[in-house]
Amino acid sequence: MRIFVLNCGSSSVKYKLYDMDNEQVLAEGRVERVGQENATITHQAKGKEKISKTMPILEHTVAISETLNLLVHPEHGVIDDLSAIDAVGHRVVHGGESFSESVLVKSDTKEILDSLAELAPLHNPANVMGIRAAEKLMPQTPQVAVFDTAFHSTIPAHAYLYAIPYSLYQKHKVRRYGFHGTSHLYVSHKAAEMIGRDIKELRIVSCHLGNGASITAVLGGKPVDTSMGFTPLEGLMMGTRSGDIDPGAIFYLMKTYDLNLHEIDSLLNKHSGLYGIAGVSDMRDIEKGIAEGERLAQVAFDMYEYRIRKYIGAYIAAMGGIDALVFTAGIGENTPSLRTKLCQNLSYLGIELDEELNQKRGEPLEISTQGSKVKVFVIPTDEELVIARDTAAVVGKK
Amino acid sequence: MEIRRIAVLGAGRLGRGIAENAASKGYDVVLFSQGAGGQDALRRIENSLDRKLARWAITEAEKRVILGRITFTLDLKELSKVDLLVEATIDHIYTKQELLRTADQLCQPDVVFITTSSTLKLSDLARSITRSESLVGLHLIPPVPEVSVAELVRCHKTADSAVEVVKNFAKRLGKEVIEINESVGLVNPRALLALINEAAYMLDEGVGDAESIERIIKESWGMVQGPLEMADRFGLDLVLNWMEQMHQTYGDRFAPCPLLYRYVRQKRLGVKTNLGFFSYNTEGKQEE
Repeated sequence: MRIFVLNCGSSSVKYKLYDMDNEQVLAEGRVERVGQENATITHQAKGKEKISKTMPILEHTVAISETLNLLVHPEHGVIDDLSAIDAVGHRVVHGGESFSESVLVKSDTKEILDSLAELAPLHNPANVMGIRAAEKLMPQTPQVAVFDTAFHSTIPAHAYLYAIPYSLYQKHKVRRYGFHGTSHLYVSHKAAEMIGRDIKELRIVSCHLGNGASITAVLGGKPVDTSMGFTPLEGLMMGTRSGDIDPGAIFYLMKTYDLNLHEIDSLLNKHSGLYGIAGVSDMRDIEKGIAEGERLAQVAFDMYEYRIRKYIGAYIAAMGGIDALVFTAGIGENTPSLRTKLCQNLSYLGIELDEELNQKRGEPLEISTQGSKVKVFVIPTDEELVIARDTAAVVGKK
Repeated sequence: MEIRRIAVLGAGRLGRGIAENAASKGYDVVLFSQGAGGQDALRRIENSLDRKLARWAITEAEKRVILGRITFTLDLKELSKVDLLVEATIDHIYTKQELLRTADQLCQPDVVFITTSSTLKLSDLARSITRSESLVGLHLIPPVPEVSVAELVRCHKTADSAVEVVKNFAKRLGKEVIEINESVGLVNPRALLALINEAAYMLDEGVGDAESIERIIKESWGMVQGPLEMADRFGLDLVLNWMEQMHQTYGDRFAPCPLLYRYVRQKRLGVKTNLGFFSYNTEGKQEE
């Protein structure tokens, strides 16, 4: 079975074509700057030369059409005909309460997704645009929506409700949803596989630390809590997002500076986090700043580590213990110094890091010592594979 | 036709606001002006973006992208390359008709025209061009990037397809479009000019000083700016021009307050001369 996975952003399209018989990637690539005259396409088919080209691509339908052309291209392609694709899997960021698992896209699915746009204005409209474009180009091929929020649907009410009037949850579904679900699912299952035990027996804390960052407590294979909430703004300190903050401080700032909703939203989402403290949002620049003795770079790093540690502690309490701690995504995979500091500060749990292994990167690794009471892993995430697996499963059930 | 590049005719406060708003929503904008100060338009848009940056509303990167999408030109021949035209010049019937006629000759035939005029009748403007069915009235209210509502009018010649293009454009700018019937002054300017005029009368009659009148009106209705500051920001000469248009149509209800004439005669025009009802520094900030 061949599954084409699409991840459409507002101005980008990422794609992978999988052969699900052996879960091999047959081709992958991305289109950047969709909507502009100088959009770029980078494409690589298995065993063939990587190509890239610049051309005007003014809408998602054209971007997807170009990628499909490349898949069947005599020189750069991997299939003879688009009918060789059995299904298309789409990443959709927010499924709200309507979608607790991946679904086959039917006529009403897109309308429900359109209605959820307000909950994820930066992502959902682009995701739905991708579905519509793929339907237009491949009308006979089943389309499957896979939701970032779906993995978190098992979180119990005591963890997903906010302590505000219950009627607001009933009327407007204001609650914790959580994000990065496909990533947390992938790395927690991979960790269980590496431990060699059934995930149902394990208590795993999964740390997805990218430009956006979230932590999930996975008990017996199902999340029981996660740090992102109604929107991706809650939880950890991030590249440019504040994460947790006293709502009272927001009221105070709005009043003091006479800020409107857009201004306070932008302050918390784009001017805060590592950037707000140290003036740079990239962890590599923070590490460089620390090496050069910049005080605020050190403060930002310490805050970042401390907040992750607090959440790990909270989730250990939520699960009644911990068997494995997993790091993934850009910062999680590529910042050994952060893992070292975290694990040193968590040594009371009996965590011991193998520093030599901790410095390696690029492949799934257990980086704790043999004697460590908690196993620590670095696992490069693979959200597209989860989408492909879910898509295959949904189409298989059809 | 997909709208990607728009022309904005007029680089006053309204034109600059439209250019900034459209560029921030991804349109390429060509800003035209042959009036005094037009050349300064890009710097003033940058100042506006800097104020937003200082209030965390945008990032440095967003500011660069927005500015990168706006070009300024004096050359009307550039109109042949745009997909939509927005006219935002002063409400003077002959000037506007002449400008629209020129644009009519230079733009591609399928380009829809928007006029932002509020005190001139759309039918009078439509008569001056061959594409009268493609002219739509869209009153965007300053400060354009911040105000979330716009008034739309059509005349008997306006085509539904042109209205649809304009509604989609306004929606992408983030505006709720409310369609009303053609009338001089529309809703917002007509109500606002009455308020400005009455506030000017109260000041002229010595009911209170400008500060007191402004504060009572502003605070009791939760307005961001009161009528006198709004008038100063439009420019009192412009306000007087609108009032005279309204006076012609509606009679004595809109007779301009004598104080407005006095201030305009004294070149006390508001923010642009640093003095109107209030005093302003060179950055347009009200002085204590």
